[in-house]
Amino acid sequence: MYHYTEHDKAFVQARVDEFSDQVARYEQGKLDEDEFKQLRLRNGLYYQRHAYMLRVAIPYGVLSADQLHQLGHIADTYDKGYGHFTTRQNIQYNWPELQDVPKILQDLADVDMHAIQTSGNCIRNTTTDPLAGAVADEIEDPRPWCELIRQWSTLHPEFNWLPRKFKIAVTGSKNDRAAVQVHDIGLRLVKNENDETGFEVLVGGGLGRTPHIGSVINSFLPSADLLTYLNAILRVYNQYGRRDNLYKARIKILVNAMGIGAFKDAVETEWANSKHEDDSFTTEQIDALKAQFPSAPAIDDVAITEPREIHSNPLFNQWYQSNTREHRDPGRRIVFVSLKSADAPAGDATGAQMQAVAKIAAQYSESEIRTTHEQNLVLPHVKISQLYELWRALGKQKLATANIGKLSDMIVCPGLDFCSLANAGTHTIYDQINTRFDDIDYQHELGDISIKISGCMNACGHHHVGDIGILGVEKGGVEWYQLTLGGHAGNKAAIGKRLGKAIPKEGVADAIEKILATFIEYRSEEENFNTTFERIGVEPFKEHVYAIAA
Amino acid sequence: MPLLRNNEIIENDPWTFFDDEQELHSDWDYAIVTAARFLQLASDGEQLPDGVRVAPDDDVHLLKPYISQLKLICISFPVYTDGRGYSHARLVRQRFGYKGELRAVGDIREDHISFMQRSGINAFDCISMPDLTLLKQLITRFEHTYQPSYPLSKLG
Repeated sequence: MYHYTEHDKAFVQARVDEFSDQVARYEQGKLDEDEFKQLRLRNGLYYQRHAYMLRVAIPYGVLSADQLHQLGHIADTYDKGYGHFTTRQNIQYNWPELQDVPKILQDLADVDMHAIQTSGNCIRNTTTDPLAGAVADEIEDPRPWCELIRQWSTLHPEFNWLPRKFKIAVTGSKNDRAAVQVHDIGLRLVKNENDETGFEVLVGGGLGRTPHIGSVINSFLPSADLLTYLNAILRVYNQYGRRDNLYKARIKILVNAMGIGAFKDAVETEWANSKHEDDSFTTEQIDALKAQFPSAPAIDDVAITEPREIHSNPLFNQWYQSNTREHRDPGRRIVFVSLKSADAPAGDATGAQMQAVAKIAAQYSESEIRTTHEQNLVLPHVKISQLYELWRALGKQKLATANIGKLSDMIVCPGLDFCSLANAGTHTIYDQINTRFDDIDYQHELGDISIKISGCMNACGHHHVGDIGILGVEKGGVEWYQLTLGGHAGNKAAIGKRLGKAIPKEGVADAIEKILATFIEYRSEEENFNTTFERIGVEPFKEHVYAIAA
Repeated sequence: MPLLRNNEIIENDPWTFFDDEQELHSDWDYAIVTAARFLQLASDGEQLPDGVRVAPDDDVHLLKPYISQLKLICISFPVYTDGRGYSHARLVRQRFGYKGELRAVGDIREDHISFMQRSGINAFDCISMPDLTLLKQLITRFEHTYQPSYPLSKLG
């Protein structure tokens, strides 16, 4: 993984010092409330319902064991002993004191981390495939490109005050695990007919109040032009994106209003000039970044293709089937660490769990951990011969729930309990579903299915792209839930279709039970929910859920 | 409003801004007008003032033909959170090759001056008297940045 240079270290240290001074000036009354808010947001510090909330950047979801250990230390030292992994592969702490935040930023800087641009109307943390560099289906490892974008976008002087936040996702694989079609800019590494590497560039995707699937603005951008092209898109957006209405300020609204053809013309016109003026990079620079992401050492013993314990231990086998994936080295597996147990909110981990996973990663996964936008962790490089030991070690930390991709592997935003934007609670729905469907064998029978829960239309829980999307709404002081079906975030990205009128809080698990019963009734063998839904549409589900009891 | 240029407070700034309702004096030397008025005067074939003020929603490209004759270009930031002026400044300096004074006017505060300088602005009409010690610290804090074509100011 990427190791900070002396420049990077000095830069992050300067940022810590700058923010420490800004906090001091704020406390002395030399910075007004509103300006301090803008400055702290660009260091990831929100003020939420009860307290400050600090969002720490995990660039493209890659962590070293030392970094995860430190995140656990921060949870234990400055927070209530836990942290929350987000749908943007970052981590949030919900209870820091303002005077501790400079200390937290210092602890982060000590392990080459920061909270820069994790909020505010600027370029946010670039996200990617959590399995990057470990899967066989990759055209190229996206992480060096993500690091290039990270550096270019960090405290970019021209783009720190955009109309609205701006999110970039990159995939290096044909199987999109980074949801590039629902980002402000999505980048897909592709090869052209001459076997040269470039990017397919999508623009104007996004969830939120008005979900859009991104449009292709350039089907093959030579990789050498990446930064100048991004710069041109950002400049057009910065100049022409709407600023009169918060809810119409994302780039998707601009692209939609202009039409992709006119937007592309504007970008290409700008780029014709700007490509010779703006920051680019040399082959040596990108090669040096690529050299920082070597493959995991090859396993010599290729005779072991699966752990023998799967034949003797059904629980281990169940976990192996659902929580591990094929690695490009046949001697290794990719392991998902589920943060979706019934004991804690989705995506939460205690400081002790973080430090335990750090230790496990050091021992079993080349000291590397990934975070996923589904709010789980990944140990990307585990030797097949060590899987059983690893499973036992994870089990001791309650981190071996065999539910990856299954019904209880829900994406859940913080909701009314923690977020000042939310209209409705999400944790209670998560609990309700967990309680109703606590039979893991039943979940495995259902196959892969995604439930995504947002507490308001800002859609941080990605409900639009869940097989079952649940959106909390408030009517007359009461929490209701709007269900959508058939959404998808991968290659066949689709926005879910509305099931019908909103459902009262206590009825959500009932409605889901009926949806699942309909699925089981209609599914052909081997079909997962998504395929059945595509075949039969929303009507049979609607009829069953809203049928008046005879 | 205190004017800061090249990290010094400038007393007795000779320039005057005329809004679109105000009649222009016969003394053309230090008049600033809006970009809209400037372009109207140009298309009417009238004599042109030496100073122009660019608002966030102006199309700065339209000023390109007049860049070499302008002595002052003001970039307006009605609120500091509106970042359009950074792109305007970048284009005026980098693309159009403007060499004269590029002045930020409006809601100008210390913590934002460094990014403005890196975008090409070299004078600042601040909302209140800037703390020069603080400003120097803010401008010189980062010795290395990630955007070499937006150089750190040498003025700090």
